[in-house]
Amino acid sequence: MVQWLLVVATLLVVIGGVWGTTAFRPGGRNIGTLSCMVLAFMCQMGVLGIRGELRGKCPLGDYGEILAFLAWALVLFYLVVGPAYRLSLLGLFTAPVVAIFQVVAVLPGVMDPDPVAVVEVDPWGEAHAAFSVLSYGAFALAAIAALMFLVLNKKLKDQQLGSSLFRKLPPARSLLDSIVRLTSIGAGILTIGIVSAFLMERDNALGSHLIAAIATWLAYLGVVFMYFWRGITPRRLSSSVIVVFILSLLVFAFV
Amino acid sequence: MDILCLGLNHQTAPVEIREIFAVSESLLGEHAGRVCEVEGVEESVVLSTCNRTEYYAAAVDCGVASDQLREFLQSQAGSRLKVEHLYEKQQLEAARHLCRVVSGIDSMVLGETEIFGQVKKAYQAALEKGSTARSLNQLFQKAFGVGKKVRTNTGIQQGQTSVGSVAVDLAEKIFGHLRDSKVMVIGAGEISRMTAQSLLSRGARSIFVTNRSYERAEELADELNGESVRFDQWHEVLKEVDVVISSTGAPHTVMKREHVEAVRRKRRYRPLFAIDIAVPRDIEVEVGDIEEVYLYDIDALKEIAMEGKGQREDQIKLCERIIDQELIESGLFGS
Repeated sequence: MVQWLLVVATLLVVIGGVWGTTAFRPGGRNIGTLSCMVLAFMCQMGVLGIRGELRGKCPLGDYGEILAFLAWALVLFYLVVGPAYRLSLLGLFTAPVVAIFQVVAVLPGVMDPDPVAVVEVDPWGEAHAAFSVLSYGAFALAAIAALMFLVLNKKLKDQQLGSSLFRKLPPARSLLDSIVRLTSIGAGILTIGIVSAFLMERDNALGSHLIAAIATWLAYLGVVFMYFWRGITPRRLSSSVIVVFILSLLVFAFV
Repeated sequence: MDILCLGLNHQTAPVEIREIFAVSESLLGEHAGRVCEVEGVEESVVLSTCNRTEYYAAAVDCGVASDQLREFLQSQAGSRLKVEHLYEKQQLEAARHLCRVVSGIDSMVLGETEIFGQVKKAYQAALEKGSTARSLNQLFQKAFGVGKKVRTNTGIQQGQTSVGSVAVDLAEKIFGHLRDSKVMVIGAGEISRMTAQSLLSRGARSIFVTNRSYERAEELADELNGESVRFDQWHEVLKEVDVVISSTGAPHTVMKREHVEAVRRKRRYRPLFAIDIAVPRDIEVEVGDIEEVYLYDIDALKEIAMEGKGQREDQIKLCERIIDQELIESGLFGS
């Protein structure tokens, strides 16, 4: 059931992304794309609900669940935060990332088919895991907006103004605003995750996973601080957000 | 008397070559007078805009006048001027060409309105200098009449019809809505005024106007509800603005890389859209190398301007029919 829901969710985001390209509306979001994303989100909720029941806790027990949770968080931010920025083509750029996360999650052996239910739940541990992965949804969407900015920036700099992609991309300032807001929101949520980590029951003083999470948190805080304190060029801001996001995925290697 | 037109424009020569031949508005009459001194040339008008420099001449022998005029131009540019940069038209073709120019059909931004005023000023300057007589007076008066008829009876002016509107479209691609954007206009000429008006119509919040003549800057600033800035202080305003439009008649660059570098930190590395619609160019090319600066010169705006061209092919045909009909009916210029 979980596998099928993930497959359906993947198909829906792909259809939504393609729909967003073909039925483009400047400065707005295509209703078809939005509908597909909402349906995909419901499927993801089903996946996480079933896995949560099986585990008896927040479903972040294996890489499959982490990827499904990441995909859910990404779509959540696309649906909740996205409308405020009215970024056209955001769905098109978001869909492949969500699809990749979910395709990897359904690969055999990635998601434990028979997870062991826990006896006792540490609420701080649950909060740490949930808030940390949730923050990655914001960081992932920020990285996607940053990628869109870099594409637009390259076209503006090279004066390649005739392409369909150039016409459809949202204005540079809208993309930069969304990068800063999403990164700030993500850093805020991750702060809660980090604080929860210090309050949860731990085997040792500071595990490698927690060190990696703190490093990620500091890196994002550094980017946000740099932007608000002394300013940073738009291209460097975007590159930093993408690089930090890719590197921060290494945190999951220590889970 | 035969009519001759020798010139170069955005289709035949890059901006690097065009700026060698650019003549400032105040020197058009004097330049026309110098062309009259060229052997074989009896009358002359020099037209110089961002997109073109054209020499209109009346001569007893077009062949002699053409050879001498080419030598005159070669002496200004040296080896950089190639044969393919220049075009030459005689008699009816020259008249047809001028009518196309005045009507905006030959412009980079099809149907643009600035060119009509620019040709009028070029003609007026030559007239005042005494370098025109019967032949060129007839030619230019006819061209103005045809230009008005074309603009009245066709839809050639609809859509993006000015360099200003094209530049504003690009500004919106960078900043989205312009209501939070501050703009600085360097040079208070006609193109600056029209571009600034386009920006205001799209919601630009505040406009700073600077010009060598402070009185002219004040006049334009009053007209646009903006703020005038003394020409030696414009770089102090640079830290506040998002868009710079430069179209001065200066023979050298006005905005240099060091001006922008000096305010980058104060600007917090915000994007800066620099539009250089002057020929010779006002903004140093190296300014475009700065990460957050988007520099567009007059040739770079061509890409957007061309987009609307395909949609107006029918209108061009209609314009050309009107021009041909008017010239044939006039019985002038060998028609």
